[in-house]
Amino acid sequence: MPDTKSRVTRRQILKSSLRGTALTAAPLFIPASALGLGGTVAPSDRVTLGGLGIGNRGATVLQAFLNQPDVQFLAICDVRDERREAIKSMAGQKYGNRGCAMYSEQEELWARKDIDAVLIATGDRWHTPLAIMTAKAGKDVYCEKPCSMTIAESRALADTFQRLGRVYQAGTQRRNGPNFMRAFDLVRSGKLGKLTTLHAELGPGERWAPLTSHAWLAAEKEPSKQVVDWNRWLGPAPWRPYHPDYIQGRWRGYFDFHGGGILEWGPHTVDLCQWVAGLDETAPVEFDPQGMGGLTPYSIACRYANGLRLVMRDKGFLGLGSCHIRWEGDAGWVETADSGRIAVSGNLRGQVADVAQEDARKSTANHVRNFVDSVKSRKQASSNALAAAQAHIACHAAHIAFQLGRKLTFDPAADLFVGDEEANRMRSRAMREPWRT
Amino acid sequence: MATLTTDLKYGGAPEIVALPQTKLIEILHDRAASMFAKAKACQRLAVIGDGAAVEPLASLLTDAQLSHYARFGLEAIPGAQAAAVLEAALSKTSGPLLVGVTNSIGVRKDRNALGPLARLRSHPDAEVAKAAEAALARLRPPL
Repeated sequence: MPDTKSRVTRRQILKSSLRGTALTAAPLFIPASALGLGGTVAPSDRVTLGGLGIGNRGATVLQAFLNQPDVQFLAICDVRDERREAIKSMAGQKYGNRGCAMYSEQEELWARKDIDAVLIATGDRWHTPLAIMTAKAGKDVYCEKPCSMTIAESRALADTFQRLGRVYQAGTQRRNGPNFMRAFDLVRSGKLGKLTTLHAELGPGERWAPLTSHAWLAAEKEPSKQVVDWNRWLGPAPWRPYHPDYIQGRWRGYFDFHGGGILEWGPHTVDLCQWVAGLDETAPVEFDPQGMGGLTPYSIACRYANGLRLVMRDKGFLGLGSCHIRWEGDAGWVETADSGRIAVSGNLRGQVADVAQEDARKSTANHVRNFVDSVKSRKQASSNALAAAQAHIACHAAHIAFQLGRKLTFDPAADLFVGDEEANRMRSRAMREPWRT
Repeated sequence: MATLTTDLKYGGAPEIVALPQTKLIEILHDRAASMFAKAKACQRLAVIGDGAAVEPLASLLTDAQLSHYARFGLEAIPGAQAAAVLEAALSKTSGPLLVGVTNSIGVRKDRNALGPLARLRSHPDAEVAKAAEAALARLRPPL
């Protein structure tokens, strides 16, 4: 994917006007913070940020943004009043003021011309439409994973960001995880020989069943719109009656909102596999599901057009933490996960060191930094929209094969299953009015 | 453990999504069937429905509660029959439901609807006009 198109940004305008101010109005008082003195970063070098739907994971990512000296968080938009207040308070503690604006409708945040970028950390159902509409509002996007609900959404995401030239970073932070990067370097150095099989860990079936439920929870009294805007919470997803479980994070596991264990960890681990293999712009051509009878173990055996195999599975790794990847070549193998420990085949011992757990945990901070640098440089972020879309397409195709319980052949150039109409119908879902991509 | 929604006659979600097309269509025709049962039937017909499901689904496009579920089914069913009922619904719906139908025609890239969509660009409801513009953008061949 080419670099993002060059365009005049808010920061560039600020830079030029500050230069002008210094030359023509030097006697006027300009605060040190506005000039980047006293250890602060000048406004022209700061990335201004807004947030859409920040919950538990979103707060972790937001904290990483708040820790960046050249980022200023200006506004939160959420359908829940307690979340708006919590994030405003979080920003207030950082900046020592109450200046963070609160909105309940995203259109108000998009209207802010002084916001450069937006962190999206809503539930999965909102990720693609919000990312696309935010880009159309002229802002860059950091979006939590899973980035899409369907193959069609994934493609729309990639196409939109390419067309508009906005920066996109998927929240697949392991691309900037030191241990995963070391494993990547080991493969790219040629020490594993030619890659033969990639293994990607999926969400454990006993925690996130690979088959999601079509059930509705029985209706409970809906709170006032000010407390929870249920209609906005549902957004593009099909209407169902309110139940407090959903808004308390227990929306996972329902077909209308979630892709099960495959879409929980697959966007991380399948993404890493496609990255190391240099296959960021494609997806496998074959998906063969196993273990449909129970919650776990389950797996999907995949094959790329070049013959490389990808095994998505939820069990059988070495116990190195969550989100394992294992990369096998004809001259050795490497396996790592979130603990930072890195296991290798006997012939490669001593060639790569473990990463301390505290350093392995810096992947989110590194990933956020990569995004901020990309916003400034206008170069693609490491988990750009195309790479993220392709990894998600692979995961959605695997999920469809799993739901249908049969082997599927896929044409990644056309995003089409070959000779399987039911599978093709599952590539997209109608969005609830008025939403669209 | 939270209670799940069920339909008195047709049961819970697992029972409904396991039904064949004929039974799913029966649910759509059944005045006593719950909204839940009809919603699940529409979603399942998106995967297995054929021409026989088109008219029963189309009859729900004007239902404020079920219009989206009807589109969930119709948007996925290939062929001219589903395209025709969506196009016909452009003159039977208004407000958000018309926006939804317009969006679905855009997703299906139904070029037979170019004329009606072009007329909707000047619709007094700005949301409808924007939806028509977006649908037309999808229908136009790439440059």
